Amino acid sequence: MPILGFILRRLFYAILVLLGLSMVIFVIARIMPGDPARMAVGMQAPQWVVDRLREQMHLNQSLPVQYFYWLRDAMHGDFGLSLVTQRPVMSDIIEFFPASLELVLCAGLLAAAGGIGLGVLSARHKDTWIDSAVRVFSYTGVVTPSFVFAILFVLLFGWILHAFPVIGRLSERFTPPHVVTGLMTIDTLLAGRLDEFVDALHHLILPALALAMGSIAQESRITRSSMADNLGKDYITSARALGISERVVMGRFLLKPSLIPTVSILGLDIASLFSIAFLVELIFNWPGLARYGLSAMLHKDLNAISAVILVLGAVFAFVNIAVDLIVAALDPRIRLHATRSA
Amino acid sequence: MRKSLFVTLASLVCAGILLTSLPAAAAGSRVLRVTFAWPNVIDPAIGNDYASSSSIVNLYDTLVFPNAKGGVDPWLATSWNVSPDGLTYTFHLRGGVTFHDGTPLKASDVVFSYNRFKTIGRGFAYLVTPNIADVTATDSRTVVFKLAQASALFLPSLVRLYVAEESLVKKNTKAEGPYGANGDYGTTWLQTHDAGSGPYMVKEFPLEQYLLMARNTTWWGKFNPNAPDEVRFIGTTEGVTVRTLMQNKQLEITDQWQTFEAYQALEKIDGVKVAALPSMTSFYYMVNTKKAPTDDLHFRLAMEYAFDYDAAVGLEWPGTKQMVGPVPASLAGHDASLTVYKRDLDKAKEELAKSSYAGRLDQNPVVVQWVSEVPDEEKYALLFQSNMADVGIKVNVVKVPWLSLVENTSKLQSSPNIATIYVSSDLPEAGLMLKQRYHSSTAGTWQQNEWLQDKKLDAQIEDALKTLDAAQRYAKYSRIQQELVALAPSIWIYDQIEKHAYQSTVDWPATRGETSLIQGYVFFAADIGVSQR
Repeated sequence: MPILGFILRRLFYAILVLLGLSMVIFVIARIMPGDPARMAVGMQAPQWVVDRLREQMHLNQSLPVQYFYWLRDAMHGDFGLSLVTQRPVMSDIIEFFPASLELVLCAGLLAAAGGIGLGVLSARHKDTWIDSAVRVFSYTGVVTPSFVFAILFVLLFGWILHAFPVIGRLSERFTPPHVVTGLMTIDTLLAGRLDEFVDALHHLILPALALAMGSIAQESRITRSSMADNLGKDYITSARALGISERVVMGRFLLKPSLIPTVSILGLDIASLFSIAFLVELIFNWPGLARYGLSAMLHKDLNAISAVILVLGAVFAFVNIAVDLIVAALDPRIRLHATRSA
Repeated sequence: MRKSLFVTLASLVCAGILLTSLPAAAAGSRVLRVTFAWPNVIDPAIGNDYASSSSIVNLYDTLVFPNAKGGVDPWLATSWNVSPDGLTYTFHLRGGVTFHDGTPLKASDVVFSYNRFKTIGRGFAYLVTPNIADVTATDSRTVVFKLAQASALFLPSLVRLYVAEESLVKKNTKAEGPYGANGDYGTTWLQTHDAGSGPYMVKEFPLEQYLLMARNTTWWGKFNPNAPDEVRFIGTTEGVTVRTLMQNKQLEITDQWQTFEAYQALEKIDGVKVAALPSMTSFYYMVNTKKAPTDDLHFRLAMEYAFDYDAAVGLEWPGTKQMVGPVPASLAGHDASLTVYKRDLDKAKEELAKSSYAGRLDQNPVVVQWVSEVPDEEKYALLFQSNMADVGIKVNVVKVPWLSLVENTSKLQSSPNIATIYVSSDLPEAGLMLKQRYHSSTAGTWQQNEWLQDKKLDAQIEDALKTLDAAQRYAKYSRIQQELVALAPSIWIYDQIEKHAYQSTVDWPATRGETSLIQGYVFFAADIGVSQR
C-alpha cells in the first residue's frame, strides 16, 4: 500500500507538470511568427477561407480563452485538426506514436544490452586493452549525434554491403498487416506472417541501432564506472575471501547494485530518444511521432505541436515513474525511503 | 567467445544481404518510384503543393488536359462551345468513362466537384472559381459554365478542376464538419482514399511514408506500352537515403530538392542521369518601390547595373539562364526581345549620381531579407552585397524564417527594401504571373514586395487577361513587360530549372519537353515508361 501512495503522489505531480507544460507550449506556439490559419489553407487561398478557419480555431479570441477551449477539448482527447495532414491530431498520434514507440523500445533494448554488456566487459577487464577500446567507443558514441550514425549505417549497410533496407518499415513485396497495436513486428506476428515479421525486424534494426548508439556508449561508461567503484568495496572483498566464485561475485553481488545509476540514466535516455528520433526517422523514412512533430513545427501546425509535446511530456513523466519503481526494486534503501515519505 | 561473436555478426550481415536481395515486387511487374517532399494531400479540393499535385493528376481526370505547348487538349470533355461574348462555355463529356469503382461519369459529378471546390475554397480553388458565376448540368453528358467576365485563363485553369465521384464522396461524408449542410464534405475520407477516374488509384497510403497507386486497367485513356503497374511516391528527400536508393536501383526518379553537390554525385552513379527540366519558377529580388532608398528609380537602375548576373547564374546548375524581363521564359506571352540588364559599373555610377540619395549612401543602407529555409539564397545575398559595395551602396543582409518574411511583406512599414523569393506561375501564361507579381491586389502578400500599386498597370493587366484572342493578348503582355523593365521594380535573376536524377532506363517524356510544365504533370505516370523487373 505505501508504494501505491508513492505512485499516486508521483502521478499527481506528473499531471501538474503536464498542465504547466501545456500552458508554456500553448503560449510559445502562438507567439511564433505567421498566421497558422493562413499556413494551413495556403498562401493563395482567399481571405474568407482564412477567416473561417480562424473562427473555427478560436484564433480571434484572447489567449486565455483560446487556452480554455483547447484544454477543454484536450481533456476529451480532442486536440483539433492537424493543419498539415488535415486529420484529427489524435488520429495522427494514434497512427504515428506506435512507430516511434517500436523504434525507441528496440533502441532501448539495444542500449540496455549493449551498454550493460560493454560496461561489464570493460569493468571485468579494467585497465586492459579491452577496457581502453570500450572507452574509446564510449567517448565516440557519446559525442556523435545519432543522425551521423544513421548516415554512416545507411552508407555502410545500405550502399556498400546491401545488407539492410534503408527506408520504411516493411518491404515493397509485402502488404502491411491489419493494424492492431501499430507495432509492425507485433502486428505481423499477430497476423501469423513470420516472413513479414522477419522483414519488419530487418527494417527496424538499423534505425534502432543508430538511435541507440549514444545510449549504449553512455550506459557502458556508467556501468563500468559504477562497477569499478563497487569493486573496491568491503563486501566484495569479503565475498571473494569467502571463496565465492568470481562469476557469482560479479553477477550477483557486484552487478545488481552497480546497475542503479545505469537504470536511472537509461530510463531518462529512453524517454529522450522520442524527442531526438526525428532525424533518424527522417533518414530512414520512418513514420514516427518525432518526424510528425518536426513537420508540425515547420508548418506551424499549432494543434499538432501542442499535442506532440504533451504526449512526449507524458511519456517522460511515465518513464520517470517507472524508473523510480525499478530503482526502488533494485535498492532496498530507496524502497524504504519511498515508503516512509509516502 | 570472440569467435562466436564474430560468427554471430557475420551471420546477421549474411542474413541481411539475403533478405535485402529478395525481389522487391512480383517479377515482371513495372514500378515507378519517386521521392517527394511530404506531406502529400490527395484530396482534389485541398492538395496543391508539388507532391499533392503530382498524385492528384494521376488519380483524377479533368475536363481538359494541358499540353506541352502551353495550351489544353480535350480530355473528359471531347469538345466545347464558347458563346460569342466569351461568357458561356458548354462542355460535351466523353462517353464510357467510369470511376475507379465502376460508376459511370455524369455531368452532375462535374457540378458536384466544382461546388465542393468552391465551398471548401482551398487547394487550387483560388485559380478556378473566382470568375465563375454558375455551373450546371443540362443533361448527363453536358456541363455549362457561366463566367462573370470573359477570361483568357478560364480554359487553362480547368486543368485544376479534378472531377470526383459525387455518390462515393457523399457516401463517405461525415454529417459533422465545417461546411454546414455538407458536413465535412468527405474531406476526412478523401485524405487516404480517392474518388477519381484517373489512370491510377490509391492502393496503400500510410501517411508520412508513401503513397502507392495501382494502375486502373479500365481507364479510358491510352497508357505508354511500358507504363508502370504501380506508382510509389515516397516521402523523403534525405540526400544519403535518396542516393543509396538510386544506387541500389530502388528508385526511378528523385525529388527536385537535392543539393547541387548531391546531383553531381548522383550523376556519377552508373545508369543514372540528371534531367534539367524547364519550369515556370523564377528567382526574384523584389525591390520595395515605396521605401527609401529603393523608392528612387535611378537608385533601382543603379542596382540593376551593378549586379553581376553572370556570376549569379554561374552558381546554378549548367543550363540555367538569366531571366529576360518580369516573367519566366517558359510562359506563353513572354517577350524574349526585352532589354536585359547586365553588369556595367559606369552606368550604375551614372544612375546613382542622378538619384536623390547620391552622396548620402551611407545613411541609406539597403536591407535584403533572404529565407533561412533556402540556404542557397545566402550566396546570392552575399554576391549582391559585394556587387553593391563596388558602387558604394551599403547592403545589410538579414536571414529570416519564411513565416517572418511572409509577415514582414504583409505591411509596407515592415517590408524590407529587398525580399529574395522564388515565385512560380500556376499556369503557363505570362498574364497570370504579371497579375500575381505586379497587380495591386497582391501588394501586401509575399508575392509582391514591390508595392507598385499602379492603377494604370492594374488596368492594363486586367484588360490583357480579358482578351481572348491570343495574339492580341500576347501583344498586351509584351507592352506591360516593357513598361515594367523600364520601372525596374525587381532584379530578375534567373529562371529556375527543375533537377531530377533518374535511371536511364526510364522513358520520361518530360526530359524531351513533351509534357506540360504545370506543376505535377511531369509525373503523369500513364505517359512514363519503366523497365520490367
